[in-house]
Amino acid sequence: MEAAPSPGWLIARQSARFVLRERTVALLSLMFVVLVLVSAWLGWSATSTVNRIYLDAAAFLQAAGQPVPTNPVLDISPLSLMRNMSVYVALIGALSAIVIGNRLIGLDRKAGVLPLIGIRPLGRNSYAAGKIAALTGLILALGAVAGVVAVATFLMLPVITLTGTQWAQLAGFMAVTTLYMGIFGLIGLAAGTWAKSETVGLLLPVTLWLTLTFILPQLTANLNPTAAINPISALATPPDTSFFHGAAVVLGPVSLADAYKFASAALLDYLPQGIASPSFIPPVINLVLATGLAGAIAWRALTRLSMTQGEYNV
Amino acid sequence: MSDAALNSIRLNPTPVRTIAGKDIRDALRDRFILIVTAFLGLAALVALVTGAIALRSDVATYEAAKASLLALGKSADAIKAPEFYPLRLLRGAIEQIEIIGAAIAILIGYRSAASERGRQTLALMLTRPMRRWQFVAGKALAGIGLLAGGLALVLGGLTLLLHLMSGIGLGMDDLLRIAIVWAVAVAYTACFFLVSFILSLHMKQPSHALLVAFAIWLTLVLVAPQIGDTLDPDNQVAGGVFKQLNIAKPDQIQIMKGFATFETVRDGIEQASVTKHFERFTFAVLGIKATYAGMPLGPILIEMLGNLIWIFLTALGLGALALALPLNPDRLAKA
Repeated sequence: MEAAPSPGWLIARQSARFVLRERTVALLSLMFVVLVLVSAWLGWSATSTVNRIYLDAAAFLQAAGQPVPTNPVLDISPLSLMRNMSVYVALIGALSAIVIGNRLIGLDRKAGVLPLIGIRPLGRNSYAAGKIAALTGLILALGAVAGVVAVATFLMLPVITLTGTQWAQLAGFMAVTTLYMGIFGLIGLAAGTWAKSETVGLLLPVTLWLTLTFILPQLTANLNPTAAINPISALATPPDTSFFHGAAVVLGPVSLADAYKFASAALLDYLPQGIASPSFIPPVINLVLATGLAGAIAWRALTRLSMTQGEYNV
Repeated sequence: MSDAALNSIRLNPTPVRTIAGKDIRDALRDRFILIVTAFLGLAALVALVTGAIALRSDVATYEAAKASLLALGKSADAIKAPEFYPLRLLRGAIEQIEIIGAAIAILIGYRSAASERGRQTLALMLTRPMRRWQFVAGKALAGIGLLAGGLALVLGGLTLLLHLMSGIGLGMDDLLRIAIVWAVAVAYTACFFLVSFILSLHMKQPSHALLVAFAIWLTLVLVAPQIGDTLDPDNQVAGGVFKQLNIAKPDQIQIMKGFATFETVRDGIEQASVTKHFERFTFAVLGIKATYAGMPLGPILIEMLGNLIWIFLTALGLGALALALPLNPDRLAKA
């Protein structure tokens, strides 16, 4: 006779299935996949255009008897073709993760099933572990889709071959990407659990995401919002003033969008020399610490959720 | 409803005013509008202050370099003095309105439609002697009025700060430019308000409508301009591809003639977004784009007329759609 699945596993499986049925989750996940494909095309198109411009410019300079500089494309690592993916993960990937986290708890609360779950022989810890496991599984699936697209792009594009180290760097980038989405998923889960209103549960993490993506980079590096979503412009050196130095020390460790951009740029080989993340904590460690903190917040919110009511206020 | 009652409604616009007034009072009472306006104000303030600090750092660097050259007995003409146009400091704030302002408009649109559904009061309101378009118009007017008020507070505060911070003060021409930007910002954010309002009023579940509206916001505000920006060859190489190849401006134009189709596609992607039209218009009027700095307002407005028309036609088109779509009372209960 087969052993009965653990309560945590049952919660995780049921929650993931319910969330996958949601049309909005499907819509945002589809947008994410489409944008990952677009990012691969953008990288290829932009690089090949620069290459063609160089060929035209070289012919022009030769005809004018001027020296021809080296092709800038040759200085670019093939991995940097994927640089736009870091932007789309920071935009749609993070938003998808927030929605997944929110729906994982929101569906139970809206359906009014919390009191029913509460009377089952199921500990709060099992419920929390099940929800976080479901979130982990769904975010890993999103990360895996992005990874498959990236790998397929490099295998299909002619002339491009990656070394073993570069494949490892790509794997590292996908891991960091999954971690970044996971942070927002956990925050979405915590806010959806804690909030009294469904809208507030969604708006709190979205406001945090807006702040991290568009406001903090301005304080740490004088980066305007549109520059913050350009993979190259986002890696600017901050002005050499005491204000920006102080802001980097205080806000650098919490500026997660900055940490993700710099970690991605380093792993995908497009980080210009002499430019470093504003935080004194290395970007990847920063993201790992943030994941731990977000996980602790989500755990606390889930284990303190009142099972006697739980439904959202209007 | 009898003909007499309908005639009375046609002559008397009170239902529109009543609904708009009630919505504005509700929004102010629950402090939601104040909170989101404060958030936008904070984002814009951060942009203005960090821009001013960076400019001050540029001026200090220039002064130090100039002093060094003069001490060595050389001419200071070799280094370019930083240009100071006070309105240019609004760049970050305009970009925050472009992104966060549009997101706030979506939230106001969602709340405007979802509040009646949540309280189950929509079907009740529609039993009153009024046309359904009057209900929609009242709600839309209230939402756009709240946006206009919030933007006036934010831009007004920034103008005051700029006047005090810049040291040279702002003239009437500067104030006129900011007023024009405010009016266009209201029309721009109204587009997103209406998208969210229409979706929240007509989709089965308002929370799904909010997410779909955010997906549209992501596409129009962030993705489309970002794709256009990324495809710009000059943004692919640090410092710019032509600068790295040491090619002069006239030769750049000559070379880029061979990439006319690519540039048309790139520009087309950008043009598809109302956000890019807003950015082009405001950057030109405020002189943020270098080619328009110091240029009189009249020629700028003539040159930017296409962008202006695009923004206003989008807002008007969405407004007409909101009024034209029939309301389904069966769909207006709490989902």
